[in-house]
Amino acid sequence: MARPLSFVRRALEAMARGPFMTAVAVGTIFVATLVTGLFAAVLTGGERLLAAWAGDVQISVYLKPGADLGAAARAAEALAGGRVVDAVTPAEALRRLRASLGPEAPVLEGVGPEVLPASVEVRAPGASLAEARALAGRLGTIPGAQEVDFGNAWLERVESLLRRLRWAGLALFGVLSLGTAVLVSNTLRLGVFARRDEIEIMKLVGATDAYVEIPFLIEGVLQGICGAGLAVLALLAAHALLVPRLAAAAGVVAPLGRAEVLPGNLVLALLGGGAALGLAASALAVGRFLRKA
Amino acid sequence: MAGEALVQLFHVYKQYQGEAPALADVTIEVGRGEFVFLTGPSGAGKSTLLKLVFCAEPATGGQLLVFGRNVAKIPPSQVPYLRRAIGVVFQDFKLLPYRTVYENVAFPLEVRGLGPRDVGRKVNAMLRSVGLELKAGKFPLSLSGGEQQRVAVARALVGDPALLLADEPTGNLDPERTLEVMELIQAASARGTTVVVATHDRSLLERYKRRVIALEAGRVISDGDAFRRAVEA
Repeated sequence: MARPLSFVRRALEAMARGPFMTAVAVGTIFVATLVTGLFAAVLTGGERLLAAWAGDVQISVYLKPGADLGAAARAAEALAGGRVVDAVTPAEALRRLRASLGPEAPVLEGVGPEVLPASVEVRAPGASLAEARALAGRLGTIPGAQEVDFGNAWLERVESLLRRLRWAGLALFGVLSLGTAVLVSNTLRLGVFARRDEIEIMKLVGATDAYVEIPFLIEGVLQGICGAGLAVLALLAAHALLVPRLAAAAGVVAPLGRAEVLPGNLVLALLGGGAALGLAASALAVGRFLRKA
Repeated sequence: MAGEALVQLFHVYKQYQGEAPALADVTIEVGRGEFVFLTGPSGAGKSTLLKLVFCAEPATGGQLLVFGRNVAKIPPSQVPYLRRAIGVVFQDFKLLPYRTVYENVAFPLEVRGLGPRDVGRKVNAMLRSVGLELKAGKFPLSLSGGEQQRVAVARALVGDPALLLADEPTGNLDPERTLEVMELIQAASARGTTVVVATHDRSLLERYKRRVIALEAGRVISDGDAFRRAVEA
């Protein structure tokens, strides 16, 4: 068996001899990894944002007129499992409303506290959406409860959207991987075909299929790592360019640091995926050629 | 016949789809250490016969034994190991243009996994024997046709094969270069290598008084020196 380093040397020599083929293969893997990585980064970032926003959950239980606020607050405390519970009288609710209106507060001139219902507020920092939803359901049963306002309900729609996107992402990744494997395999087949004379001579002098195949496989892995590495760099550059601008424009992306959008395990998965893609494509290409040879 | 048979064909047929048989009912033996010319016009089946012997293609009928092994029964994974005992030379040299003369000759030894020191020793000795030691660092395309064929012969012989197959090895060479290459092949034969040379060059048959197997339309029409005598007459 030849020395492992000689296989690497032969793979590097072959890449240097066919720079166009190498560039096409690297480019194909780059595009596939970039699209997949972009999708994964948007999903990961979306989930992080959702978690950050959902972490500030507050549930308000509005009471029927004449309901016993103290009894309702005690019932809420029993159901809330140690969370902060505020009993909000109509007078306090009016005061908060005035404060929130600021200079527009005079519009409430002549409005008495009796127009606002008493309520019980439960703060649940760090609760997931599912936990908040369950707690809101339980709080609807306290004595005198008329309506439960789950203030972050809109997040449910975002969560549902992300859930669907996650499935779409998986499907996209599958289709992309398959498509790219076929595309890269065809590109590499051209490379294998261009070197058919070399392969013929190798076999002529007694090279085993493994001896012929291994440098091609190494080449595929190296091209995969290069393509995926470039895609990761492009994603990092896109993050560095886009997130500060989005933050300035919308003020909502502050939690989206590099580690939130492109965590280390995602970067490793992209690099590993690119390498696996290159390996699979080259195995497919050279295998098909050798079977015919 | 010189000793045990190294190559044996028994009623061998080879037919490509939709074509007349390339080989039909060929029965011959080549003994260890023999030097045999395979001759006949273009399309007679000379190259096909050589391809069958080094397992580049399967026969469609009959039995073919190389080194006593029935090639039809050799699993594909074992074919490379059989080929390592066979040196092959082609009319078009089949050298790797981006590898130096040294690297081309070293190739069969690298394939076998020999270390650089052993490779260097054998390749340098072989290049000396074919008179190309000063061209070791050159690339094939910078050499003359005769020199390229000497590189090809060196590559075929560097692994000390028991059998050397040469398919029109002088077909692209002028008479002087032809003699140079044939002398190398003769020398290998003198060292005990079994040699089969396919050629349609009758002058070679006249010059080297060896066994001649003549093929025509895929059939053996003469085996021995009768054909050579006829040529000489």
